[in-house]
Amino acid sequence: MKNNYEEEVKTLVSEIIEIPVEKLMPDADFFKDLGVDSLKAIEIVAAFEKKYRIIIPERDIPNIRNLRQITEYTKHLKKV
Amino acid sequence: MHWDKERIQSILPHREPFLFVDEIIEIDGTKRVVAVKNIKDNESFFEGHFPGRPIMPGVLIIEAMAQTSIILYCVCKPEIGKTHPNYYLGKVKAEFLSPALPGNRLILEAYNVKIIDEAGVVDALARIDDRIVAKANFVFGIKRNE
Repeated sequence: MKNNYEEEVKTLVSEIIEIPVEKLMPDADFFKDLGVDSLKAIEIVAAFEKKYRIIIPERDIPNIRNLRQITEYTKHLKKV
Repeated sequence: MHWDKERIQSILPHREPFLFVDEIIEIDGTKRVVAVKNIKDNESFFEGHFPGRPIMPGVLIIEAMAQTSIILYCVCKPEIGKTHPNYYLGKVKAEFLSPALPGNRLILEAYNVKIIDEAGVVDALARIDDRIVAKANFVFGIKRNE
């Protein structure tokens, strides 16, 4: 059973990129597979920063390329 | 910190009659920019909006807030701003709360939510004194010239 945080992240991303939760695979590449452009990417970043009160540095954004990575990355920031 | 129209025009590509920022009256680091649009009695858009009952169109209030957001972007990213990239709006969420009329001094505030080289998210509001006229959230992109 997946934990709440993973589900929460999935729902948040799904709402922004307008792809149903059930079609959002953990390793699907945001840019190549899911059609995320720089505007959607910054919306995702801004939504995470607002919801979890974290700062995602600009240099890290290009390296967050799928749901699994953003879940792990933000989980780490939340602990700080 | 005060910017006059000449300095504003060195950043914004917009010109009359589609320049809706007259001056910058405050710059709070990279967090916030406060601008002013003095709404003149003879603005061209009042001719049709509406005859005998002039009200500044909501879309132009959005445009004024968006132009202020570009200035905020350039304060955050001066090196890119200097190259005069193309700015394009991706998404706007807005609500309108009260009218803006001839003679009003429209204060435009843009708040940095997230700004990176290629894009920005900005919260903005337009007010007359303490009366809020409109609020908006912008997502915009920057296309650098090759």
